[in-house]
Amino acid sequence: MSYVFDLERSARGLRLNRFLHGLTVADKRKLFLESPEEAMKGLTEEERQMVRRLDWKAMQDHGASFFCLEKLARAKGVTNPEMVAAFRGETLEQFLKTRRVPGAR
Amino acid sequence: MAKIIGGIGTSHVPTIAMAFDKGKREDPDWKPLFQGYARVASWLEEKRPDVLFFCFNDHASSFFFDHYPTFALGVSEQYAIADEGSGPRRIPPLKGHAALSRHIARSLVDAEFDISIFQDVPLDHGLHSPLTMMWPSQPDWPGRVVPLVVNVIQQPLPKPSRCFALGKALRRAIESYPEDLKVAMVGTGGLSHQMIGDRAGFNDERWDREFLELIERDPERLAGMSIEDFMRLGGNEGAEIIMWLIMRGALAPNARKIHQNYYLPMTTAMAVAVFE
Repeated sequence: MSYVFDLERSARGLRLNRFLHGLTVADKRKLFLESPEEAMKGLTEEERQMVRRLDWKAMQDHGASFFCLEKLARAKGVTNPEMVAAFRGETLEQFLKTRRVPGAR
Repeated sequence: MAKIIGGIGTSHVPTIAMAFDKGKREDPDWKPLFQGYARVASWLEEKRPDVLFFCFNDHASSFFFDHYPTFALGVSEQYAIADEGSGPRRIPPLKGHAALSRHIARSLVDAEFDISIFQDVPLDHGLHSPLTMMWPSQPDWPGRVVPLVVNVIQQPLPKPSRCFALGKALRRAIESYPEDLKVAMVGTGGLSHQMIGDRAGFNDERWDREFLELIERDPERLAGMSIEDFMRLGGNEGAEIIMWLIMRGALAPNARKIHQNYYLPMTTAMAVAVFE
């Protein structure tokens, strides 16, 4: 069983997850969308890089909870199938070919 | 006295709410899902429960890992709709039943289920993505909800056997409430899906259908399985179906499934079932 979000992963990802969770607050989200560097001040440079690039896989490997990543995705208008495709190392088109109803998103 | 009139098991995928909010009822890609919920909506309209008791999970929307509760019961008269990153859904705040919640809290702790208590916390799609498919929100909700938030996102998760036992304790708690109330239990989550890691995009329809049989006929067998079993069979995130066991534990052992729908369009198998 890999990628289980356990207490080790949660501890490792706490700072990044707290930032992502913060995007549920309208003011913090507005700051991030308008002045991302200002909003990301509390993150390490490595973490800021991942967020800037919307590198879903890197954030996941770093300890981000999928459900915290969803907050960033919603703020940036990214859908879950796009994130899942990134975790699989596929393009969205490749991933949708593996689905029964590609239009249901 | 309050009475449990039946139960509902349902997925709580956020795209169910998206399809509802975007009015996809007649869209061929979504029609099979809406049709599956129509029977649930008519069952609720016919039975008119006063309260829906919801077993669901927060998705790091209102609760965070700085203090993540295993079982947390809401005891408010009202719950706002959570902002999950793009503003709250435009549906009315949920009406709670504080007196029933407080009674359940006292009864559960008396039964040695030392749950956390929350109030004035917004609730996320784990509750209202399925709710809008079965209960009209306009002009206002036809009844009240009691929310039980379960940790299914940060290991260690509660054991399936504990969830089933909690359901039984909930039955005693609810049915000892002195007011004549009709209560329907709702267990949410699943079915098979994995959103992350090497198995991102995983599903298993065979396991899903077996689960839908066992939850009716042999929930003890499901309760005897481990979280690892549930993750292996239904995907890491699919293990959240242990919340159906809380609902099932609160029903009569001989409760029967009177409706079921299964639809697997994208990443998560979407199921709904009614028991009475």
